Amino acid sequence: MPKTEMHRAFPVLNRRQLLAGAAGVSAAAMLPVKAWAQEGRLNIRVYTEPDDFDPVDASGFGEALLYGAIYRNLIQYESGDDWSYRLDLAESIEQTSDTTIEFTLKEGQMWSDGYGEITAEDVAFTFERILDPEMNSRILPDVGTLSRVEVTGRYSGVFHFDEAFAPFWWIALPYLAGTIVCKAAIEDAGGRITTEVPPTVSGPYRVRELRPGERWVLERNEDYTGDIPAEYERLDIVYIGDEAAAEIALEAGDLDFTEVSPGSVARLQSNPPAGTAMSMHPSLFYVWVGMNMEHPKFQDIRVRQALQYAINVNAIIEAAWYGVAEPSTGIIAPGLIGNRPESLIPPQGDPQRARALLEEAGVENLEVTLNVLNDVTFTTAAQVMQATMAQAGIQLNIEVHESGSFWTLGVEADGDRWRDLEMIMNRFSMLPDPSYATAWFVTEQIGDWNWERFSNEEFDRLHREAGTETDDARRDEMYRRAQDIMEESGAYRFITHGVTPNLFYDNTVPGTRPDGLPLAQYFRRA
Amino acid sequence: MSSFRHTLIGRLTRDPLAVMAIVIIAALVVMAVFADLIAPYDYTAMHMTDRFAAPSAEFWLGTDNLGRDTFSRLLQGGRIALTVGLTAVIISGLIGLVLGMIAGFGPRWLDNALLFFFDTLRAYPTIILALALAALMPRGLTTVIVVVVITSFAEYGRVVRTQTLSLKHSEFILAERAMGASFGRIVFHHILPNVLGPFFILAAMNLPVVITIEAGMSFLGVGVPPGTPSWGSTLKDGFDHIRQTPWLILAGGLPLILVTLGFTFLGEALRDQLDPKLRSGR
Repeated sequence: MPKTEMHRAFPVLNRRQLLAGAAGVSAAAMLPVKAWAQEGRLNIRVYTEPDDFDPVDASGFGEALLYGAIYRNLIQYESGDDWSYRLDLAESIEQTSDTTIEFTLKEGQMWSDGYGEITAEDVAFTFERILDPEMNSRILPDVGTLSRVEVTGRYSGVFHFDEAFAPFWWIALPYLAGTIVCKAAIEDAGGRITTEVPPTVSGPYRVRELRPGERWVLERNEDYTGDIPAEYERLDIVYIGDEAAAEIALEAGDLDFTEVSPGSVARLQSNPPAGTAMSMHPSLFYVWVGMNMEHPKFQDIRVRQALQYAINVNAIIEAAWYGVAEPSTGIIAPGLIGNRPESLIPPQGDPQRARALLEEAGVENLEVTLNVLNDVTFTTAAQVMQATMAQAGIQLNIEVHESGSFWTLGVEADGDRWRDLEMIMNRFSMLPDPSYATAWFVTEQIGDWNWERFSNEEFDRLHREAGTETDDARRDEMYRRAQDIMEESGAYRFITHGVTPNLFYDNTVPGTRPDGLPLAQYFRRA
Repeated sequence: MSSFRHTLIGRLTRDPLAVMAIVIIAALVVMAVFADLIAPYDYTAMHMTDRFAAPSAEFWLGTDNLGRDTFSRLLQGGRIALTVGLTAVIISGLIGLVLGMIAGFGPRWLDNALLFFFDTLRAYPTIILALALAALMPRGLTTVIVVVVITSFAEYGRVVRTQTLSLKHSEFILAERAMGASFGRIVFHHILPNVLGPFFILAAMNLPVVITIEAGMSFLGVGVPPGTPSWGSTLKDGFDHIRQTPWLILAGGLPLILVTLGFTFLGEALRDQLDPKLRSGR
């Protein structure tokens, strides 16, 4: 290669330039980790990847976090330590009778990208899509007895219910089902949003880019007309399933906020990374071990009960939650209507009783498979179960799944794997109304969220009636009985609600629900 | 005595690299075979009050997140590593040997087809192929072995085919043919013994690779089930709890380093001794 060409291809540096460059690189390396990360950019970790822009197809917390940033509801959860909500799109909203809720929208609230003003037509369209059987929405249970939405003016309307449905205020309006979509944009899209980025948004942020399996890149929505404007130029929702990896990412400056594992709490409290703070929140999640009642191994209730008694919940909590959580008594957390003071089976279990039940059932050398998420807390819990169940003569095999595989294990629409499913260690997210817990275990949910294939008429009736009951004491009694029925079926062993320890940089003021889950739109600079 | 000095073993014992390799490998084999006798604790026993213990007289290599003795688990892990390593190398080696010789001796079209097959398999990044296969199969040691066999036999096939092709056209084989030697005699008396040298060198070099694939799969959560004390699982536990203790990840990595060093040194020593060109150069 002639010398002139070489110069063009590789710039030649003299010694002074080389030293200056090296000094610059060294200086850059010595900058504090957060120097670049905080300049108008926020990285929040999410443990489950949002997989849909269209709220009608939403299924969990990943979407809730995303929608909070890019869409709006009539009312929104407030950030803080007590469960409350604030008006968002609604100027007013009130329960006018047991079966009607009237709302009036604020005027001048806009969709982005030229889709015009948000009107009552959009609100009605949003809920009617969920009610439409052809949409096959997975969040249909959230709207309970809602029958229709009447539009009474450009900005006003009425929700009509077949029967009273008190949970609507807590599990529908401020959450996934209450995420208002743009009627015109959805119709333009052919009935469902399937585009790379949503055609229009209403929240403080908009989607700039989607990197599946990695992150959702959001940026400030200049068309936002609400009263919580975007604090950051760019907000990344970063998907990291593993908590240990998330902790390392935060310490490396790649994240600004993450939930950490219970095992890290003691270390982080005594020796926090520089510039970070930690907060602990009582969780509403519920963790349980379920058994597929239709599997040949679990047809006999005595076998299921033996497994319930063979599981030592205290040992699991000590090992996997490092003693920072408490054993749960059911699927409804303390502080909520329907929380049981104690479970029917003591948390420590009883291996002798388990052996006796198996003997009575004529089962020898029982070998069962437990399916768990590939997460250090769950795999640790599974290993403890393996050890304690061995004391009852039960061999437990552990199957670990990645998130994508795990969340389709019991779903009939995703194949036939549910037929071979034996035991599952599962965790569901929760909202501050007990109906949000029982909704997933009714007969209609079999093959969707009800992977135990548990079916009980009394349970279904209690769930239905408790949703329409307005007397709190009566509701409390009904939900307690519902959990008794679940436990009596032998298909459930309740483990814990866990805790939510969050780690974040102290130049950030996180916006979180009382249970510690992030609300992206509320994050502010300190 | 002088005849021993000229045997392969005799020559190896004079090579310091080979001696080091043999000592390392022998130590690992002894520890794996007699793991139950050597281990100070039951590898599944949990000592919850001693979680994340540092190495001490009580726990020689410390304990893991469930208070299980790391040294006892590493010994059991050695069994898994050797079982997977030896089984996978033997099976994949035999498959590669047979297919490689068929390719070398067979008609041109068959050679081309097999060569295409080998190269297609080898073109995939090993760990990606392993992950894809593991996702389709039930989790366990058998799956790990099957995955390793599928990802590694093509390498043997390629080497054996090349050796066979070069030998097939050599003068002494042509002479044998001219004298009317049978196909079986040519294959088993002439080709096979000459192919085995490079084959064993490759096998020795490949064993740590296979063990590392198993460890990698277990580390990534698609190898042996949780609770099984493979070296990869220990590394994964170490990674998960690196903030609580550095000892687990060190303990999980050490045997992998040793086994890689041991078998690589052995492979190199074998190559030095079995390759006539290298021997004459010494």
